[in-house]
Amino acid sequence: MTMNAEIGSPANARQENRMERPSFRLPLASLAFWGISLAWFIIVIIPLIILFVYSFFTTQYFQTVYSPSLETWTSLFSSGRFEVTLRTLRIALTVTMIELLVGFPFALWLAKGNVSKLGRAIFLALLTIPFFLDLSSRTIVWRAILGQNGLVNTILISTGLTEGPVDWLLYSEFSVHFGMIPALFPPMVLPIYMAINLIDDTLIEASSDLGGSPAQTFSRVILPLSLPGVMAGFVFTLGPALAAWVEPGMLGGGFVNLLSNSIESAYTALRYPVVAALSAFVIGLLLLLLGMMMLVLRRFGGSGLTLR
Amino acid sequence: MKDKFSTTEQIELTRRTMLQGMAAVAGTATLGGAASLAPGAANAQGMPLVKAYGVPTAALKDWSPMEASIGVRCELSGTSNDVGVFMRDIMASNLGDSADLFIFESGTEDILGPRGFYAEIQTDHPELSLWERTSDDWKRSDVVTDKDGTQWGVPVIGNADSFGYFPAKLGLDADSEEELSWSLMFEDENTRGRVAFGQGWAYSFPSAALYLKSTGKADIGNVADMTGDEAKIVADFLIERKKAGQFRTLYGAFEEQIQLLTNEEVDVINCWEPAVREANLVLGPDATRYAYTVEGYFKWGHGAYVAKQAMERDNVDAIYKVLNYFLSGEYRALQARDRGYAGPNMDLGVAYAEENGWSQEEIDALKATEAKVAKKFSKPFVSTTTPQNSAEIEDQWQRFLNA
Repeated sequence: MTMNAEIGSPANARQENRMERPSFRLPLASLAFWGISLAWFIIVIIPLIILFVYSFFTTQYFQTVYSPSLETWTSLFSSGRFEVTLRTLRIALTVTMIELLVGFPFALWLAKGNVSKLGRAIFLALLTIPFFLDLSSRTIVWRAILGQNGLVNTILISTGLTEGPVDWLLYSEFSVHFGMIPALFPPMVLPIYMAINLIDDTLIEASSDLGGSPAQTFSRVILPLSLPGVMAGFVFTLGPALAAWVEPGMLGGGFVNLLSNSIESAYTALRYPVVAALSAFVIGLLLLLLGMMMLVLRRFGGSGLTLR
Repeated sequence: MKDKFSTTEQIELTRRTMLQGMAAVAGTATLGGAASLAPGAANAQGMPLVKAYGVPTAALKDWSPMEASIGVRCELSGTSNDVGVFMRDIMASNLGDSADLFIFESGTEDILGPRGFYAEIQTDHPELSLWERTSDDWKRSDVVTDKDGTQWGVPVIGNADSFGYFPAKLGLDADSEEELSWSLMFEDENTRGRVAFGQGWAYSFPSAALYLKSTGKADIGNVADMTGDEAKIVADFLIERKKAGQFRTLYGAFEEQIQLLTNEEVDVINCWEPAVREANLVLGPDATRYAYTVEGYFKWGHGAYVAKQAMERDNVDAIYKVLNYFLSGEYRALQARDRGYAGPNMDLGVAYAEENGWSQEEIDALKATEAKVAKKFSKPFVSTTTPQNSAEIEDQWQRFLNA
């Protein structure tokens, strides 16, 4: 009787509910996991496999020849497209690192610095404005400023700093970097700002109370806790930088041929296999890069980003 | 026109046209519903409809003269001038199920005709009454026939492209009609570092090949359709010139052509004729000129092609009326006046202008266009968007870009 009474008590009923819930949730969670995995496989993995397979075909007279060959892959090297891929990666990584170096201190200042609420709101609004403006319109303005007869050269010549116009200001890798940096600043800063803003101020105060120097507080509290934002900012910046089309087109003057320009050119001749090979190659490089980043961040304690 | 570059212009033109159209529609709307009941509007709605898909350059800024002339409405869905996009749309999306006419630059007929996407033109169709009087230079050109001579299209517009330049900077008279060499683009010491070259292979590669062939520096068969080896020779030459600093920039859009001229960033640029006109609006008359050349031109044309499926529909007569209109004096005069492009039966265009009370200045401009085209078209070469060795040519162009 006692046992029955105990079993029937409200406390035991709650206990039973707690016991039962996992058995109900597990199949649902399992179902969701397999459902999402299947959808992921169909939507992402299968197209990637098709892409990779396509890269082993060729194009003749605007028609894909479905006979396996390494010709497309070898042509990537003979046509210089391999260098395009590496150049794109180099420029994208350079821009991303510059954004990180400039963006992190800015985000830290904005989130934890002595900034009024109004000031913070204004800066955040300014960071979002570029999303509402056409990138081409923002970029083409630089041509009038950086050109041989542009504002910068006019000032340089009229002040006697240079005798003639400085050519490399426009139509060079410098100008492409210069155009990409302001365009990709918000995607780097905003995630880092969000991550730093979420750090509880008491943690920073506790570090200070325990005798930690500002440098120690930064390296042992702020930096590890902001790593999810850094990772997100890195990905959000690197992705668009790899796909940059407007800045190299408008500011590179055709001398900074990047991946998107190369893909577009191939597409005009309906060379799908070349597009597939270039895309597969870049995806491989990206996976390698992100894998390396995961390992580095794991080492620095960014547990939220790892697969642990 | 050519490759993607023309896209921008066409889109720009379309934008302008669209804005004008929207303004007109807005104005009409403010006048009240009565306007929509105007006899003209009601008549237009009752007319047979021909749906076209293609580059908007061929479109009239206002179709109402055509509707009044032949009693057919035409709706043009614009596309970019990217031949890859255009052919993908037709082949993969079966656009012939909904579109009656395709309008595009020469080359697609060589592929889409034999593969069954275009219907062969019935040159004896009763509605195609101007066919006989149209010169073979236009109606039998590579723009509208394939390599076997099959007639897949009707010529619509065309021009012969060369390069724009600043006469004063080259020491030439502003009104000079002297034929200049393409060496100004590629090898002249006076223009080194002051040249803009288009970065699309279909537009720029053949011009360099034409120069090398004409000057005997390379043995090239057909500059519009080079072999891979020939393309390699041209690419090597361009790489050498690129490294020598000949090119200030490799541009990519029509707006850039205008900007490079108006900013005077370059002295010479291979571009479209309208870019020179636009630049002169800013810089003054004849500040820049469009060159007559020694070696030849990038001659291009747009053709109108009938969708295979359209021949099974009930508006074939209307389709052929539109095709015939493209050969007429009214279309020719309006296109030449509004866009500066030439086409078949320019004489009919002049006659139309005279009969319809156009100003002497406009008539003279039409005659000048006729004379200009006759002079330019006597020289090589006719371009194509679909060279046989496009893959090899594109690879070599990439080599040039990446050097």
